[in-house]
Amino acid sequence: MRGWLLAAPALLVIGLGFLLPVGVLFRISLNRTDEGGAMQADLTTETYARLLADDFIAGLAWDTVILAGGCAAAATLLALPLALVVRAAPPVWRGPLALAAIAPLMVSGTGRIVGWLAILGDFGIVNGALAMLGLPEQRLINNWTGVRIGLTESLMPYAVLVLLAGLGRLDPLFDEAAATLGAGRTRTFLRVTLPLAAPALLAAFALTLVLGISAFITPRLMGGGRVFVIATEIYDLALEMVDWPAAAALAMLLLVALAALLLLRSLLPGGQR
Amino acid sequence: MSAYLSLAGLTRRFGSAPPAVDRLSLDLDRGELLALLGPSGCGKTTTLRLLAGLERADAGRILVGGRNVTDLPPEVRNMGVVFQSYALFPHMTAAENVAFGLESRGIRRREREARVAEVLEMVGLSALAQRKPRQMSGGQQQRVALARALAIRPDLLLLDEPLSALDAQLRDGVREEIRALQRRLGTTTVFVTHDQAEALALADLVAVIDRGRLEQIAPPEELFERPATPFVARFVGRSTAFAGVVEAPGRVRIGGTLLAAAETPRPGPAEVFIRPHRVQLGAEGDLPVEVTLRTYEGAMALLTLATPFGTLLAELPAAAGHRPGDRLRMTLPADALRVFAA
Amino acid sequence: MSRAGARRPGPVLWLAAGFAFVLLLSPACVVAIVSFSSGQFLAFPPPGFSLRWYAALFANQEIMQALATSAILASIVAAIALLAGIPAAYAIARLDFPGRALLSGLLMGPLLLPTLVIGLALLLTLQPLRLVATWPGLALAHCTIAVPFAVRIMITAISAVPPELEAAARTLGASPFRAAVRVTLPLATPGIIASAALAFLISFDETVISLFLVGPRLSTLPVELFRYTDNRSDPLVAALSMLLIAIALAVILLVERVAGLTRTLSRD
Repeated sequence: MRGWLLAAPALLVIGLGFLLPVGVLFRISLNRTDEGGAMQADLTTETYARLLADDFIAGLAWDTVILAGGCAAAATLLALPLALVVRAAPPVWRGPLALAAIAPLMVSGTGRIVGWLAILGDFGIVNGALAMLGLPEQRLINNWTGVRIGLTESLMPYAVLVLLAGLGRLDPLFDEAAATLGAGRTRTFLRVTLPLAAPALLAAFALTLVLGISAFITPRLMGGGRVFVIATEIYDLALEMVDWPAAAALAMLLLVALAALLLLRSLLPGGQR
Repeated sequence: MSAYLSLAGLTRRFGSAPPAVDRLSLDLDRGELLALLGPSGCGKTTTLRLLAGLERADAGRILVGGRNVTDLPPEVRNMGVVFQSYALFPHMTAAENVAFGLESRGIRRREREARVAEVLEMVGLSALAQRKPRQMSGGQQQRVALARALAIRPDLLLLDEPLSALDAQLRDGVREEIRALQRRLGTTTVFVTHDQAEALALADLVAVIDRGRLEQIAPPEELFERPATPFVARFVGRSTAFAGVVEAPGRVRIGGTLLAAAETPRPGPAEVFIRPHRVQLGAEGDLPVEVTLRTYEGAMALLTLATPFGTLLAELPAAAGHRPGDRLRMTLPADALRVFAA
Repeated sequence: MSRAGARRPGPVLWLAAGFAFVLLLSPACVVAIVSFSSGQFLAFPPPGFSLRWYAALFANQEIMQALATSAILASIVAAIALLAGIPAAYAIARLDFPGRALLSGLLMGPLLLPTLVIGLALLLTLQPLRLVATWPGLALAHCTIAVPFAVRIMITAISAVPPELEAAARTLGASPFRAAVRVTLPLATPGIIASAALAFLISFDETVISLFLVGPRLSTLPVELFRYTDNRSDPLVAALSMLLIAIALAVILLVERVAGLTRTLSRD
């Protein structure tokens, strides 16, 4: 009993700031919006039906999954060599290298995007280099390309974290054994290292996928208002169109999708933790 | 005279396993030093924790100075506890550690400082008062722990394996210091140990515990000379055990040999323990024996003897010079045997 | 087995890792450099170097106001995170009571959901209560995210203190409260400092939830950064990003010094 009493202040915060609002979220998703755009208190699944039948929302969902899937895969694949190199580095370097890989998390998401805008923008270094080579200018920001690059980069530190933790179990002895059996570097990598790293890779992919699906800042800022994903739609519905039931319902659908993803993950071999 | 410390039917169970402490009852007079002796896992530490209030008894009563403390939380029992690991507060100096109990009692600064100085003086650590535990040796830490427990002038002092963490050379000295301190202060003390030499040397009363049950409680000499149960006979001293038969009062047969025993149970199968230090060896005696092994222990020698009824351990002064291969004659006085019904 | 015997990553792998590192670190480096640009646009490389954008930053009233708000808010959140988190963590780490696992799960709940959803949920809840764009509303929102982290860190810190020390304190006459406060908590000080610092940084850098809950009267620094980046493209945002990084670094360094100091003190 004393335990619950001691935890009361924390429970109050979590109750008021999380449990109650999520309940409210669910409740409002059951309201409906009338033709005038105003919210009407009700207990209906009309809003869900409306969203699920909407082609625009369907397209949005598809775009979001493709974007997140592609960026998560890219982030994981790029994080793998990074993690392997950190592992192979002399112990003195390992800490600082790992820290350097994870440090971008400390720079706020928006800050990193500012950097990308400067690199990929019309006056950025990429276009500058292209101009020097006499090649045409590329639009790399305020479109899907910019979002893809920015999102991939923002997911990489998370992938590195998971991979570093998971690869720790990879015994260099396996590499040695492969070498004594006459396997070349590529062969060792493809037939020994990769399969053993598979669980960690899967975990990294899963995490970055979940983060990517609910990403908001990068699509919004790198997309220049032209890239629409689920997260930006929820934001617009809530604050611009002020269609609360739709925003709430869409958010609930997002939660369901994420929950399904996590369930799927736990059912796969090696998914239980 | 009613006892100062009284345990009645003390029981503590963990889950569905057999009780760790099983209906333990004993009495201790004021100012006495009791040793709880037994093998690992016998429940002696649990008993100590029950006394301190760190565990809750499932049944039974604990009376200290007539006061029923059974259901009281540790902070009001006024018992000084010295833990096996000392449990000194690492972020406080020796003086602050010792003062902690006094602070908890709301004793004013001036008196507190005086008491701390007094008790540190008693354990010989006045010079180390401002050191942190990390800067002290194991022996010094133990003294701080002792000082901390004594500073509160406890009704009962509880020590959990006080000498086990110390180096062998230190043990004897510290043992004597603890005894001297305890005598001087007259604090009723209970200490837990698995080392019988320690128990026999330090205690006024020794309680042998096996699997949560009290086997025997007696002064050291009585315990050693007249163990009351087979377990005590086996655990204390180095008796050799034999299966035998009691044929008549005072007469027990082991194998083909008939021996005299001071006390015997009813006729029938028996367990016979022969005490090594009571074995007499010489040119003359009742039974022919041969020395097969000699373990030199300094003042004494432990001899393994081949006898008509089996192998026997004997403990004699090393100066007697018996060697492996010697053929001698052995006499077993009646009080060399302890016989229990099997 | 020595590392020398293991198959060292081939040149391909090194190249890939190098590329990955460049990808990771270039935005931050570029932001730093562009913040000192003398030009009008987010151009890299910058035409020249100057402090004009930092000057503009500190002259911007809205942003400075948001800075003050964020700093004060983060301090409040850190304080609440400690006051709520420490007792809860103590209960979970030390006490045995029915429903302990449930409590632990509940307290970690906010970490499971995307901040987007939490932000929306809070907007929907606080708007009817007229608590949007208010200090209590924002503080509650930030605390909801910060408290789980604080609890997690404190559970580890408290569990690291041997329970026997509290037992010793109890036998010396200390009540359970006194034993916890005089013995366990001082020994968990590095954890307390880490929790406070993390809570501060989480609040200070929090963008998404705040976007739902700010208003004309009350805004935070990350939100201003977001809005500015959304609307304009001059190096002011670079200077502002650097300001955020600088403050985060300052907090981390401060914690290192204080925590390091504490560690040396306890070592003596």
